[in-house]
Amino acid sequence: MLNFSIAAWQAWAPDIDTFDRWLLWAKGEVRAQNDYSAPKVDFLPAMQRRRLSPLARMAFHVGWPLAEGCEQLPLVFYSRHGETGRTAELLQCLANAEPLSPTQFGLSVHNAIIGQWSILRGETTEMTALSGGEDGFEQALIEAALLLQEHPQVLLIAAEEQPAPLYAAAIDDIPHAYALGLLLSRGSQCQLSWQATASSPAASLPNPLNWLRHWLLNTPAWQHHGTQRSWSWQCHRAQ
Amino acid sequence: MSQLEQEIKTLIIESLGLEDMTPSDIDSQAVLFGDGLGLDSVDALELGLAIQKRYGIKIDAESKDTREHFRNVASLAAFVSQHRSA
Repeated sequence: MLNFSIAAWQAWAPDIDTFDRWLLWAKGEVRAQNDYSAPKVDFLPAMQRRRLSPLARMAFHVGWPLAEGCEQLPLVFYSRHGETGRTAELLQCLANAEPLSPTQFGLSVHNAIIGQWSILRGETTEMTALSGGEDGFEQALIEAALLLQEHPQVLLIAAEEQPAPLYAAAIDDIPHAYALGLLLSRGSQCQLSWQATASSPAASLPNPLNWLRHWLLNTPAWQHHGTQRSWSWQCHRAQ
Repeated sequence: MSQLEQEIKTLIIESLGLEDMTPSDIDSQAVLFGDGLGLDSVDALELGLAIQKRYGIKIDAESKDTREHFRNVASLAAFVSQHRSA
């Protein structure tokens, strides 16, 4: 079982980008748009943000304010599907026998976003980029929570972009683009445990969003089911 | 400013994602890489590709002349007008 606290969080989805909007979203009163919009990240100079993909912009938008004032802050970046927009464009070029864009190619890999984070923030401490199955969010939390043994705080960013139309039939767990940033600290606000179980019905929301919904609604305990494991969450926001 | 220079400035802005810039922000004589516009080696590859695609010009990355052709917008325009109809 893992214990940790949430020192701060940030989240973004199209049309849902303030605490009040997220609270309404958690209560089911508003919905996010499923379009291709992305945050502007205009806290960065134009020359620095020009290579940031929509996925990177979402990650930076939620991560940047959480990292303010923290030096040597480890980052765990989690995305199940990664840079599908860049990949789709590269594949399209290959299919048309056109040369590939060096920028698209270089930045399509899964750890490109943490590389850009490192460059733009001058951050040299350890960073990890993870992918995973439907419970990859929890896997990333294991990584982040274990890093708390060596660091007072750890930043976790989970992000998915609206998939390119090419992938619409294959990706069914992104209701809309979203990013969630959690600044983890040592503590016991959250307890996460897991056990091997047979497969169970999947949650209606991807785990990062379902986690945020329960966090905002102050749900004391809930479960996320995966095909190989089930995860038990206990959270106490006010503690 | 020639029509071609204007076109190349637009190509630079679009292919390199220079948000918030317009062609009039780029001086035809300003050095593109390093101190001037501040572009880097990835931009050089990207711009080379864009020129290649748009004008059908093969660019030799190893050639010493290439560096001169990519010095600024004016030299690029001269290079393109010399080669594109060939």
